[in-house]
Amino acid sequence: MKKWLILLAAVFLVSCGGDQRPRLFVYNVGEYMDTSVLEEFEEEYGVRVIYETFDSNETAYQKLKAGTTAYDVVFPSDYMIEKMIKEDMLEKLDFSLIPNFENLLPEFTYLEYDPKNLYSVPYFWGTVGIVYDTRLVNGSVDSWSALWDERYEKEIFMYDSQRDSLMVALKLLGYSLNTHKTEELEAAKSLLIKQSPFVIAYITDVVISNMIAGNAGLAVVYSGDAAYIMDENESMEYVIPKEGSNLWVDAMVIPKMSNNKELAHAFIDFILRPEIGLANTEYVMYSTPNALVLEELEGEGWTENDAFNPDLSKFPNLEMFKDPGEFVAEYDRIWIEILAGAK
Amino acid sequence: MNENIKRFSYPYIVWISIVIVIPVLLIFLYSFIQSTGEPVVFRFTLQNYRDFLDPIFLNVLWHSFIIAAISTAICLLLGYPVAWVVSRLKPHRQSSALMLFILPMWINMLLRTYAWITILSRQGILNKILARLGMGPFHMMYTDFSVSLGMVYNFLPFMILPIYTSILKVDGHLIDAARDLGASGSHVFRKVMLPLTMPGIITGVTMVFLPAMSTFVIPQLLGGGQYIMIGNLIERQFLLTGDWHFGSAISVVLMAFILLSVWAMKRFDGGGSQAGTAGKGALPW
Amino acid sequence: MANEVLIEIKDLTREFDGDIVLKGIDLIIHKNEFVTLLGPSGCGKTTLLRIIGGFDDPTSGSVLFDGMDLLKVPAYRREINTVFQKYAIFPHLNVYDNIAFGLRMKNLPESVVEEKVRRMLKMIRLEKQAKRNIDALSGGQQQRIAIARALVNQPKVLLLDEPLGALDLKLRQEMQYELKEMQRESGITFVFVTHDQEEALTMSDTIVVLNDGLIQQIGSPVDIYNEPRNRFVANFIGESNIARGKMLKDRRVEFEGHVFDCVDRGFNEDEEVDVVIRPEDLKIVSSGEGAFKGFVDAVIFKGVHYEIIVMVEDREYVIHSTQNANVGELVGMVVAPSDIHVMELGV
Repeated sequence: MKKWLILLAAVFLVSCGGDQRPRLFVYNVGEYMDTSVLEEFEEEYGVRVIYETFDSNETAYQKLKAGTTAYDVVFPSDYMIEKMIKEDMLEKLDFSLIPNFENLLPEFTYLEYDPKNLYSVPYFWGTVGIVYDTRLVNGSVDSWSALWDERYEKEIFMYDSQRDSLMVALKLLGYSLNTHKTEELEAAKSLLIKQSPFVIAYITDVVISNMIAGNAGLAVVYSGDAAYIMDENESMEYVIPKEGSNLWVDAMVIPKMSNNKELAHAFIDFILRPEIGLANTEYVMYSTPNALVLEELEGEGWTENDAFNPDLSKFPNLEMFKDPGEFVAEYDRIWIEILAGAK
Repeated sequence: MNENIKRFSYPYIVWISIVIVIPVLLIFLYSFIQSTGEPVVFRFTLQNYRDFLDPIFLNVLWHSFIIAAISTAICLLLGYPVAWVVSRLKPHRQSSALMLFILPMWINMLLRTYAWITILSRQGILNKILARLGMGPFHMMYTDFSVSLGMVYNFLPFMILPIYTSILKVDGHLIDAARDLGASGSHVFRKVMLPLTMPGIITGVTMVFLPAMSTFVIPQLLGGGQYIMIGNLIERQFLLTGDWHFGSAISVVLMAFILLSVWAMKRFDGGGSQAGTAGKGALPW
Repeated sequence: MANEVLIEIKDLTREFDGDIVLKGIDLIIHKNEFVTLLGPSGCGKTTLLRIIGGFDDPTSGSVLFDGMDLLKVPAYRREINTVFQKYAIFPHLNVYDNIAFGLRMKNLPESVVEEKVRRMLKMIRLEKQAKRNIDALSGGQQQRIAIARALVNQPKVLLLDEPLGALDLKLRQEMQYELKEMQRESGITFVFVTHDQEEALTMSDTIVVLNDGLIQQIGSPVDIYNEPRNRFVANFIGESNIARGKMLKDRRVEFEGHVFDCVDRGFNEDEEVDVVIRPEDLKIVSSGEGAFKGFVDAVIFKGVHYEIIVMVEDREYVIHSTQNANVGELVGMVVAPSDIHVMELGV
């Protein structure tokens, strides 16, 4: 018995002490990075990257609050960064360690959620819009109201996301997607319940495979997903409706609990390199805030594409999500009532 | 001998307490609490239950019951004949036949359910076949149909196995006796097989109805986010909204509902058997 | 028995996976007859019974019931009822409903059912237990219910598949008389299967001895006992001593080096035969007076008689006598001519 214990202990020690390289904990959304760039980073810096993924900002937030893992670099969205800054969870960045910051387009710096740009570095951005099948839809689509058109009954997919679906209704009604007015939310709710007979279902990323297959005529999607869908199915088009939509930005932050802040900075700087940015952009197909990467992509059909690279000046009604704070309880209540009330 | 068994049961009791009793008690406790404000203030209240009494939520409970009941009924109508056929095979073939039903369960439930999306979609396999026959395309995904189908597909083995077991337990001579006394096929089934396999049927129905009532994966994948069953309601409270107290209250309501249903079913079976009269036989034999 | 023919079985065979269980059975069963199918395990008696009952189909051959082809009629429509070996009482029904089962299958009005069932309950003396659950009853009671359940339908034939096997000796003997009475009173043909030859001798009008799928002999109990046709029947029914002998001519047979007068004839001159003598028919005398002699090998007290084993060279003779004998003693044996039974040479 004793011999077995010693053997076990030895195996344990050997397996633990084997890899002496410093480790970097990266926490990102699933399918949001070309993981081969991680291998490049590991080689160049002689470190090991532990890469974990999450599926929603809320999940990431809960994990960081729980504090079980000391992540070094995290990739949350705009409103979640706003919340984390408010709760003092993030480290102020030392931009002397991130020289590649100048590669970014100026319009993607000093954004509302981090007005002094102290805590975050943009990674990808995008919009929310309608992807539609030109074989089914006559003419072109330019308004959210197309999703309430009875001609498209049971041809519509909505997104199973509280804020995005409410955004669609709020924008159609001319309200802000960050409203704190209950009556505006109630109006949005009525509108969505009215729409429900036309909707096939509220789904998440299965919408991508569904639209590629042609299982529906119209769907609410993120711009990057639209770019992918259009790539795979030539009859698909993407439009940002005239009433306006959500502009979102995902950025890199360093939590205060990080044990390796210098290496974290180096990683962020690494991601901003044009060739790394290019690799990620080609894999993820979302819009890049990196000017140098855009240059590389010129002429390849990316830059003229509203899904990939809309001219922001043409869309003045794009809003970013803000953290609703306490009011989130109202949003939750309304959302459940919409889902439960849907026909 | 009995002492030894008692000693062996202690770890089991401890395990059951930790894994089952205590969590259920916690949920029960949570349901009576509301936490509000910063810093969090706890107070005992029935508000969570009152919130549930909203017609929207009661509707969800009712709808879940209907779909679960229909799926269970379909499982019974399909499962009994299958169990019967398998029980009549040569003994060495029976285990292979059962394997056909059990093997799919070794594959992750998520994958099995996902597969149906490929089959039922508008441009999916089934519609493509039906198109060749000049029919459709039918709108099958994200409907009551697809959700029930998913439930039947996933839970059918739970109906087949208990019924199969109880069929095997029926003495073959009883069937011979019934035939001998003039019972034709359907009479044999109604008067002998059905009453004697009722325990298996009850078990099967319970084992299908319970998960059917509380599942959230199948409605979500095959019904869509707007297809809210009581299980989805609970899941969203815990994972998205973060209101564990309301979620616990809904869980308690669900548990109560299920216990009620099981009790009703047991009475249905127990009422069938005759009550024995008191008094011993006067004869030595 | 000069009764009418009820069942006529012709050349019935049954094969199971290359195993031939019945090898061409020809049998006639009469009305109002108590027939016993007797034989060791595996002789095919139960299979034969099951074919008559409709629980099995023969591989070939025919069964006529009242002149009609019985094999075309499914079990549930035959006017035949069965008492199964393990009773097969319905556990989910009480005594009353068990007995009433067959009557209800015929859709008889409930008042008629009540009257018949009550009469049956009286006959088997279980009136007070009518509403009782089956599992509360003893084996003997269950067996009577099984019989009642079958008889209440007044079938033309009652099949009984070793129904007394699970009862203790005393109970078994009482039931044997009861069943005999029931058959006599009801006039229903009973076909009874057993491996117990004593039971068969007690109850039957006719015994059909089976072995290895073939009928060995059909006859009344007395005939079968006194005139077994072959070695198998001789060994199976009662105890017997079988010696190899030579039939010199009619009514004279030679065995054990002695010529005996006997009552059998019809054999060829000097034909080799088997000679059967029942143990109770061999008498022990002093060695000088016997037809042949041997040494007493063992004496066993059986209560009713002594069982004495006498060895004549290496051949064993069993004798039943009320007189004791001494082990090792040289004794003589005599037998009366009418007690010598000559058979064809057996295998």
